[in-house]
Amino acid sequence: MKRIGILLAFVSALAFAGGDQLVVAYQGGAVTLDPHLRNETTTLSWQHHIFETPFFYDREGKVVPVLATSIENTDPNTWILKVRSGVKFHDGTPMTAEDVAYSILRAATHPKSQMKAYVGKVVSARALDEVTVEIKTKVPDPLLPAHLDHAAVIPKAYMEKVGEEGFQKHPIGTGPYKFVDWLNADHLTLERFEDYWGPKPDFAKVVLKNIPQGATRVAGLLSGEIDIAEKVLPQDFARVERSGRATVKQTPGVRIIYVAMDYWREYGSEGLPEGAKNPFLDPAARKAVYMAIDEEAIVKKIMGGAATVAQQFLAPVHEGYSPKIKRFPYDPEGARKILEDLGYGDKDGDGWLELPTKDGKRVPFELRIDAPNDRYLNDAQIAQAMASMLRKIGIKAEVNAVPKKVFFPNMTKGHFTLYIAGWGSMDSINTMLSMFHSKDPEGLYGRFNRQRYHNPEVDALIEKAASTFDPTERDALLQQAMEIAMVQDVAYIPLHYENVIAGVAKGIDFSPRPDEYLHAFEAKKQ
Amino acid sequence: MLRYLLVRTAQTVFAVFVVATLIFLGLQLTGDPMENLAPPDMSAAQVEELRKAYGLDRPVYVQYLRFMGHLAQGDLGISFLSGEPALRLILQRFPTTLKLVLAALFIAVFLGLPMGVGAAIRADTLTDRTLRFLSVLGISAPTFWIGIMLILIFSVNLGWLPSSGLSSWKHYLMPAFTLSLYRIALFLRMVRSTMLDVLNQDYIRTARAKGLAERVVVYKHALRNALIPFITVAGLQFGHLMAGAVVTEKIFAIPGMNRLALDALYSDDRPVIIAFIIVVAVLFAVVNLVVDLFYAIIDPRVRYA
Repeated sequence: MKRIGILLAFVSALAFAGGDQLVVAYQGGAVTLDPHLRNETTTLSWQHHIFETPFFYDREGKVVPVLATSIENTDPNTWILKVRSGVKFHDGTPMTAEDVAYSILRAATHPKSQMKAYVGKVVSARALDEVTVEIKTKVPDPLLPAHLDHAAVIPKAYMEKVGEEGFQKHPIGTGPYKFVDWLNADHLTLERFEDYWGPKPDFAKVVLKNIPQGATRVAGLLSGEIDIAEKVLPQDFARVERSGRATVKQTPGVRIIYVAMDYWREYGSEGLPEGAKNPFLDPAARKAVYMAIDEEAIVKKIMGGAATVAQQFLAPVHEGYSPKIKRFPYDPEGARKILEDLGYGDKDGDGWLELPTKDGKRVPFELRIDAPNDRYLNDAQIAQAMASMLRKIGIKAEVNAVPKKVFFPNMTKGHFTLYIAGWGSMDSINTMLSMFHSKDPEGLYGRFNRQRYHNPEVDALIEKAASTFDPTERDALLQQAMEIAMVQDVAYIPLHYENVIAGVAKGIDFSPRPDEYLHAFEAKKQ
Repeated sequence: MLRYLLVRTAQTVFAVFVVATLIFLGLQLTGDPMENLAPPDMSAAQVEELRKAYGLDRPVYVQYLRFMGHLAQGDLGISFLSGEPALRLILQRFPTTLKLVLAALFIAVFLGLPMGVGAAIRADTLTDRTLRFLSVLGISAPTFWIGIMLILIFSVNLGWLPSSGLSSWKHYLMPAFTLSLYRIALFLRMVRSTMLDVLNQDYIRTARAKGLAERVVVYKHALRNALIPFITVAGLQFGHLMAGAVVTEKIFAIPGMNRLALDALYSDDRPVIIAFIIVVAVLFAVVNLVVDLFYAIIDPRVRYA
């Protein structure tokens, strides 16, 4: 019976084809409709149609109030949040401070919540009256308003009445679209919420579909079955543009693809020949590798233009982005000279630079570049390009590209000397703490600083920024930290920011967000 | 007969437990599920909390015993990713895959069987050689490529058929055909060779000598005997398809149980992986049983063996 219902809903949704219905194809699908349990971009994108949060990032990277109207802190650990009035849930009940407090606490304390990285510092949230919430944190969190973008507001009474399983069968939120029907990770059918507090979206019905294969998404776009397709691959751009049915829209994203090198082992680094000295402990050698990479060529040829050359780890929309940092110029001869001056010159004339070994001999400078092959756009190809560029300056580089399921555990265990990976997050403090701060024994800092970059000066700046409430001051501190890390220390080699790409059918006005969320309610009729 | 069924059922149950144990142990070797479950921004302490919530912090033998205990009660655990019972997730998609597979088998039998018979009666003629050549193409063509090419031609260029999903009969055509191609070729060759064997038997010569029309000889006598091994193979292909339609399901975005299992494999959603394998193991056991019973019914010689 339920299946017939789903079938009917689907068919009737298709019957609306064109006109007032929007069909959006994603590469994945939401695996849960409980907004606190899974921190994953596609799941959250689908959920954002139904649920909203107190604050959210806009396309320029600014934190704007959504379900909240204002927030201020009375002391470093206490915040007073004012809730927007006149907001209704999809079942008609009004949203109150009680619901907001309940939701924030749930996101912070539910055993299976994946939002704890954002709101985990919250120890209590209670409604002082119909429109005021008092939030207390265990340590000061200057970014709490931004972090509340992961605390979706759900109706307390309803959740307590139907329970978690019942909630997923029919979720209720305050968002611009109401739940109609859902098949786990396959599709979500929505209809416009006519009592929405904000500007009503253009399309009355929305179907979000999971179409895992890129070619099928493009085919659906070209045949008219799909209105917006995410993650169109560069090799399909020409075909989409030629078809006259749709165009490709690109926005520079916040996901940076970077190269990390081993900073902690003098000998025994596994991507180098046995017993060879690790040259990457010296920032000059790291700079040499940086200069050997022709990133413009990578963006143009490998990425098909679907990326933007980066000069630092954070993107222009991020807090802490420093306009002062420039890319080291592409200079293969200069790079080779630096390495030769450091003592890695080719003494035996075989064409390869050399590394000294523990027992006083010299071996050819062989290097294994590790990369995933199914995680980032053209990741294995980027590694190949990099390998051939390094070979041109005398480093005998080879690529080891493996599936992400193998790559990431090995990266964590420290098996790599030089690897390529990506990082995407709107939260600059978190980025700096995870990637640039040195590792500490409790695992609070440097969680993703696998190659153990460490600089106490940078650590101090980041820690100070993390507890600074004033945004201008915080921004300045972060910029300073980035300048030292990128220019002086060459902590990472920044390659490019992936563009966020969507294929959009003619007649629809839509462009992708830099944070990779894809929201059907942002699409307008042309 | 009843005793036979009971013995077979007991064997199936035993097989399921062995399979479950092997899978459980095998998955332990694939590393830490938290790598895929916990998003990168979680601190180490928070990851440990999450690990506890999933019961993954207990020693392996404790996890195994709990797992087996639940298995005996038919509880295959909760999916890590979605929080829903793993078995329910798989069974929810079972009918979708089933419909697709039945459609594919139907096409394969409808086309492969007559072509096989035709090739056999016209053995060594041009027709036969052409059909055999086509069957080689069918067996070698990669599913992935066939699927994408069909979408390109029929959805994008001609606009006749929808490119993804399964909500109308039109949606079935391309994925079912993609799946069936290999089987058409397989059935063609199989039927052809069994028919040729049968057609050379003495009793066929007798039938012809009796004066029976060639049509009666072929369809009433020869084909019937050739069908027995054919149905065995078709039955086993059913099992293969139910567990192996993963590429087709992915290309055509069909929410079947194979695609669910593939996603579970990529994200290390162990309860779902185990649930899928167990469902498939049971399915194969049942299919084998049905095929063996069929054999026993049709061929009296087997019954008394």
